[in-house]
Amino acid sequence: MRSLATLAYWEGVVLLAGLLGVMFWKLLTGGISLHGLLQGDVRDPNSADGFRSQASAGRAQALIITLVVALWYLLQVIHNPREFPQVPRAMVAVLGGSYALYLVGKARALRRADD
Amino acid sequence: MKTIEFVILVVISMVVAFVIALWVPGAPMEKLKLAFAYAGLILLFLLAFLVVAAIAANKIDISKLLEEKGVGGASMGRFQLLIFTIVIGLSFFLVVLCECKIPDIPTNVLALLGVSATTYGVGKGIQATTSKDGNGGQGGGGGQPGGVGGGGDAPPR
Repeated sequence: MRSLATLAYWEGVVLLAGLLGVMFWKLLTGGISLHGLLQGDVRDPNSADGFRSQASAGRAQALIITLVVALWYLLQVIHNPREFPQVPRAMVAVLGGSYALYLVGKARALRRADD
Repeated sequence: MKTIEFVILVVISMVVAFVIALWVPGAPMEKLKLAFAYAGLILLFLLAFLVVAAIAANKIDISKLLEEKGVGGASMGRFQLLIFTIVIGLSFFLVVLCECKIPDIPTNVLALLGVSATTYGVGKGIQATTSKDGNGGQGGGGGQPGGVGGGGDAPPR
């Protein structure tokens, strides 16, 4: 049974490493497009389709907070892989606040012309 | 996946099971358990490997994984959900490897995933209610931009 567990271990490692490798390779080479990730649409009556794209501060801060929290979490797990790390409530609150800001900004930008 | 590939996977698994059942020493019941366990493990691995290989070879297209339907630009909601899914999935795998058991997931980790998924859902809702043609949310994102006959304006990201 021990060799069975070893086989399962290595199968899991190979599959997960393969999947993550393919995902990151595609993200880095443009196979999964990140074009327009930091651009939001705002209503523009003068535009042909009623919208125009512009750089969004809400998206930029949400991206930074996301990457920081994700990296922190990953480092905690790598440091002590025997249990899930305790995420401070403040960090969850910061993340929620960041996304709330992004969503409010998105909603306001899209409704601005209706007001 | 083509049927022939699936048949090959099943045949390989059955061959492994037969080899174990015939040549591995031990009690018949133990050999039966081992044969089923190895065959199932190898079948699952080969199936998953085929999926990963198909993604790598672009037979399964994930190029629009982060794009909103009908817009063409990447979505922040989808991107952050992808990041957190990968990070927490990887963490789960690492903890299982080290502890050799299914761990209890703390509530704050669930909260983290909940915040992430809720953001994605609310973003879709905002997008649906503010799309120019008023039906952008139907079917998860709206009409195709520049479609045949010029119909279907792009909803916002």
